[in-house]
Amino acid sequence: MRAVWAAARAAVRRRRLQTFVIGLVAFLCTATVVVSLALLDATSTPFDRVFAAQRGAHAVAAFDRALVSDAQLTGAREGVAASAGPFAQATVSLESDDPGPWLRGPLRVVGRAAPDGDVDRLDVWQGRWATGPGEVVLNAVPADGERFAQGPLSAVSEVTVGGTTLRVVGWAWSVSASADAWATPAQVAQLDPAGTQMLYRFSGDVSSREAVRQRLSGVTTGLPGRSLLAAQPYQVMKDEAAETAGVYLPFLGPFGVLGLLVAVLIVGNVVSGAVVSGFRHIGVLKSLGFTPRQVVAVYLTMVSVPAVTGAVLGTALGVAGAYPLLSDTFRDLGYGQTGVPTWVWVAGLLGVPGLVLLTALVPARRAGRLSAAEAISAGSAPRRGRGLRVQRALSGTRLPRSVSLGLGLPFARPARTALTMASLLLGVITVTFATGLSGSLLRVAALGTEAGGDIGIRPGNPDFNETMSTRTHQEVEALLRGLPGTERIGISVTRSYAMVGQSSPVQVDFVRGDVAAMGHERQLIAGRWMSAPGEVVAPTEMANERGLKVGDTLTLEVAGDRMTVTLVGVTMMGLPGSGDDALFAPWREVPGATPDDYYYQVEVAEGTDLAGYMGAVRAADPGLSPWDNSGGDDVTPVVTTFATVLALLLATVAALGVLNTVALDVLDRRRDLGMLKSIGMTPRQVITMLVTSMAALGVVGGLLGIPFGLAAHRLVIPMAADSAKITLPDSVMAVWNPVTLALMVLCGVLIAVLGALLPARSAARLTIARVLHNE
Amino acid sequence: MTTETVVRLDGVRKEYGETAALDGVSLRIRRGEAVAVMGPSGCGKSTLLNMVAGLDRPTSGEVTVHGERLDLMSETRLALFRRHHLGMIFQFFNLLDDLSALDNVALAAQLTGSPAGTARRRALELFDELGIADRRDLYPAALSGGERQRVAVARALMNRPALLLADEPTGALDSRAGEQVMDLLIDLNQIGQTLLIVTHDERLAHRCASRLVEFADGRIAAESTLDRV
Repeated sequence: MRAVWAAARAAVRRRRLQTFVIGLVAFLCTATVVVSLALLDATSTPFDRVFAAQRGAHAVAAFDRALVSDAQLTGAREGVAASAGPFAQATVSLESDDPGPWLRGPLRVVGRAAPDGDVDRLDVWQGRWATGPGEVVLNAVPADGERFAQGPLSAVSEVTVGGTTLRVVGWAWSVSASADAWATPAQVAQLDPAGTQMLYRFSGDVSSREAVRQRLSGVTTGLPGRSLLAAQPYQVMKDEAAETAGVYLPFLGPFGVLGLLVAVLIVGNVVSGAVVSGFRHIGVLKSLGFTPRQVVAVYLTMVSVPAVTGAVLGTALGVAGAYPLLSDTFRDLGYGQTGVPTWVWVAGLLGVPGLVLLTALVPARRAGRLSAAEAISAGSAPRRGRGLRVQRALSGTRLPRSVSLGLGLPFARPARTALTMASLLLGVITVTFATGLSGSLLRVAALGTEAGGDIGIRPGNPDFNETMSTRTHQEVEALLRGLPGTERIGISVTRSYAMVGQSSPVQVDFVRGDVAAMGHERQLIAGRWMSAPGEVVAPTEMANERGLKVGDTLTLEVAGDRMTVTLVGVTMMGLPGSGDDALFAPWREVPGATPDDYYYQVEVAEGTDLAGYMGAVRAADPGLSPWDNSGGDDVTPVVTTFATVLALLLATVAALGVLNTVALDVLDRRRDLGMLKSIGMTPRQVITMLVTSMAALGVVGGLLGIPFGLAAHRLVIPMAADSAKITLPDSVMAVWNPVTLALMVLCGVLIAVLGALLPARSAARLTIARVLHNE
Repeated sequence: MTTETVVRLDGVRKEYGETAALDGVSLRIRRGEAVAVMGPSGCGKSTLLNMVAGLDRPTSGEVTVHGERLDLMSETRLALFRRHHLGMIFQFFNLLDDLSALDNVALAAQLTGSPAGTARRRALELFDELGIADRRDLYPAALSGGERQRVAVARALMNRPALLLADEPTGALDSRAGEQVMDLLIDLNQIGQTLLIVTHDERLAHRCASRLVEFADGRIAAESTLDRV
């Protein structure tokens, strides 16, 4: 064993470049694998991950306090693995100073002394837990400091329920949605709680709603009938999570798969090349008396040293890189507070070294079986030429000889060429897909931003102690049109209608002014923009959810006001103020509408200072509340950042694969290179020859990879749109033109050239005398 | 033979770390001469060849070939110089396995920018002259050692070099093939080709060279004129 270690150590020292390349490839591949796996894990099981971390409740049960005592509830434990409660639960109505649209209707306030426990360990992500009278903690998805400060939550300092004003001292997140708000038990007792909450984690099967219901029946057995008021199985929240986080999976999942494929290919190429190029050394070892098994052990040890080092460093980099990306991404959805899962760490630390060993084992065993003489001669004996016809054809062309020789090189080692080509192909697919993805998302974001206008304005609401504008909507429009910088204005007023044949009500935005010209008309996916009374346009999400299509006739009714309209078009999104569940309709006066029911969106002239414009609006009428509406959506920056980082990482790994191939080619062809230099090949011609050999692969990889990248783009964007229940206009997919496609081919060439340049330059500097006389 | 000096070495010293492979060597080779350099292993004869071929640079001293100072040239100029003025043959032939015999030879001209057709025509002339025309389409692996060396000679002569350098040209050949290569070198010298041959083989030196330079410990130990056998 000592001899094996000594020989392996010597081999590592002697082959510093190769050891470095293996280590670097292991490092980058491990980082890629860790980020990819963390990504796949995060996008496929975000709910499960956070549910496990919070020890979420399989069932959130509310019991009637009048029918069942706390003692009865704590005693009922059949089939229960863990429980939390009993907690007093009051359902109260928010009073007039409603904090905002995100918190409406009845509020479930639960009395809990602490956020932790055996079940439903809350993430108190802002402020602190409620510990005294008059304090409350509200439930909301976490937001980081800056987002919190800029968002509407930071403005909420108190809520008034049941005549009691409670000071908001913190914000917490329950993946089980166990409450809307929490206060101390004593505080909730003052809110006249009618229910008692119990949170259960069950042993046994909880895989379906029915199974959870059966487990729950075990708990309620023996309790008074009808004492269980309501029970929410965790699947309700899981399904909701799948709708939100699921949008990311089609975007980011392919990168994970591509990352894994590239890692496997590159490791295979680098390691098998390292062993094959060491055949001569293997022969020497055997002639010294090393057994085949010892030879295999030497080579496995030799590649393990850089592989393990690279894997450890790569795992650290991958985790360090993945954590903030995933945390930032999924925190907004409520699923980002846990780190990279342990199995990803393990896969990073063991997976790539394991893959390296497996890849090395095949050629190492082959080398072990060779006789000493065969192994020694494998590196130096004249080879039967390969790719001969190609070389012959190329030698007769008018191309410079260094170029034609380079073009023929890939044919000499078809297996190595195939692996290199595959990694280049995947690199090009990744870059093409990432480019298409980013382009489409940016177009979606641009459409949204354009349609949203630069500035949104609503008159103040006296209920929120805001100054109310005394102007009519016509006067407000005139005022805004008169302000310097105003280019376009759209005005809307919203009214809720019952839709005949549908159970839930529908909002209708009556619009006038420049709404169509501000981008909504350009967002049309089907049909046309409305042009006459009685015509409406629906956002795609609404049309999909309600099964509406162009040409449908809808009957809308409210308080005796009945109208029949025809759906003439479907657009990508609705007005920013109303969301994607409101119909566009031509303007009409809405009786009883208050000033704050009107929404104005303004597009300013290019170069206008938005802050200055908003100041001018406030100065012109203190009763108007303007805000900056020019920001994009949340998904675009996250996905484009991920796409860019992963595309760069995978392109770098692909370039390393090329670097390794050229380094091996140079090693194999040292004698040929020396000879070529001896008969007058200049250093530049040497570089040209070697770079051409890979650039040719880059061109082929580019040409072959682009269709796959385009196909992935064409497949994934509609899939993501389906997850978000929207349809995208064709213009979103039309991000390609001949120039960008040519750039993608060039990208394959660039990866190949960058990878080849370093070893080609070192080949150009080979000392001919040493090469030719070292036979 | 003219008096024109093709190779001039003045006080050439080459050190590898602490060891001096060449220690103040001065040598002249005139046009049309055939000079054999002999000596024990490690005496510096291959280093001398490297200096003359511009494959390595001296630590000090001057190396002038065909009137040009090789020790002052850039790598690129050296390559261009070798391309146009030097031909080299090696003990192990150093043919490209992927190219046919003809393409191996034509390669030397193609690197200078000659069109493929012109290069092949010139290569065919050499194949005829060297008696291997019927082997032109074979690949190196299918050639005998002697044939490979003839192909290597053809490649070396492709650009009509001022100086032909041979490093143990018969070292990897059997006696019969060795004899053929020797005859070839003699013929070349007789038509005016300047030769510098580095060899262990006394027979080769005495048959092919008109002058013998003996090396020991990086220095010229003896020089003598030879009567070819």
